[in-house]
Amino acid sequence: MFETCLEIRRHFSDFLDNACGPAVRSSIRYHLSYCAACYGELERAHLVSSDLATLPRRGVPAEADLRLRVRVSQELHRNVLRRLWVRVENTLHALLLPASGGVAAALVLFMLMLRSLIVPANHSPDVPLPISTPPQVRMLAPLDFNPGNQPLVVLTEVGPDGNATGYHIISGAQTPEILKHLDRLIYFSIFLPATRFGKPAKGRMVLSLREITVRG
Amino acid sequence: MRSIAIPLEGVVPPRTDESELIAELKAGSEEAFAYLLAVYRNPVYGLVYHMIGNENDAADILQNIFVKIIRGMRTFHAESSLKTWVFRIAVHEASNYRRSWFRRKRREVFSLDDDDREPVAVRIDLSSSVKTPYEELEQSERQELVKIALSGVEEPFRTVLLLREIEGFSYNEITAVLRVAEGTVKSRLVRGREILRQKVSSLLAENGKK
Repeated sequence: MFETCLEIRRHFSDFLDNACGPAVRSSIRYHLSYCAACYGELERAHLVSSDLATLPRRGVPAEADLRLRVRVSQELHRNVLRRLWVRVENTLHALLLPASGGVAAALVLFMLMLRSLIVPANHSPDVPLPISTPPQVRMLAPLDFNPGNQPLVVLTEVGPDGNATGYHIISGAQTPEILKHLDRLIYFSIFLPATRFGKPAKGRMVLSLREITVRG
Repeated sequence: MRSIAIPLEGVVPPRTDESELIAELKAGSEEAFAYLLAVYRNPVYGLVYHMIGNENDAADILQNIFVKIIRGMRTFHAESSLKTWVFRIAVHEASNYRRSWFRRKRREVFSLDDDDREPVAVRIDLSSSVKTPYEELEQSERQELVKIALSGVEEPFRTVLLLREIEGFSYNEITAVLRVAEGTVKSRLVRGREILRQKVSSLLAENGKK
């Protein structure tokens, strides 16, 4: 295929790169099998190529590397808003640790203080001490009572001992039958007396009575 | 306090989807650019250094390259791979720089103090002070000669050699980076290798090692 050594040596580059066709490759191999000069030439070419390929890689010097990264960073933040944001971030980053520490400390302190600030549930038998409280029904007497169609509104006077001392019908029917039942009902009912400054006192309360039916 | 330099520590998770990375880069993601820097800064620097032959200038050009990448990312339509595009910008920037007479003059001034221009013999003496096996020393010496010889290979052969031999680019990738035909790439590679081999041989002869 090849006439001269000079001709074949033009293909050494492709041969080294494995870029020549099978016919050229076999021709070169055949030529090399008997031509020591070309064989030596190819060996030297291969040696130079491999020396070049295995040259120590040159890394960017440290100072140049830093300058490069700074330049790239500046270029990336050329936009005014982004640059401003970086400045804000830098400022916030400076405050981040003290601020976080402050918040964490405040939370811990608050939690510690919270325990002493919580008012425990009142289990003491203290009497509530508002200025005055009205009398209340503690238990209505378990008696049948029928005031008729209209409810019976009664102003009841309760003594300091919790017993009714009298009453006055404000509205409703006032038949003798009803009055008789009403007397019994109020007499046997138990009241909580009114208080003034925590002390039992005489008081009045309004009772509105409808039909009461006691089963049993 | 946040550093003003883009952080690179721990930002190199392997990315399988290049389109996702490109989308993030287009969106201006700092993390994506940190990844890009982490992956490409050293290979690009190596290429530019070998093309220019000066450490300080290579560092300046590297900055310009990444600035151009950031600015040009919006107009990148992924017609080629990201790697090819990055290296195309790198080759373009380095070539422009080399063409500039003013900067070339400045480079010559700097080269007076450039350590990389030490005589080969000095370098070999320095490396020989380290206890290494004979083969490693021999290879190290040869590599020094290859490096010097490489700096003497003219353009455009040198760039093709660098992309093929050092960066391991395929013919197709070199074609895409340099925007030349594959036949041109092959012929430049043949010529570049031949020039390099000749220069190495003459350097070896000068050092009495042939």
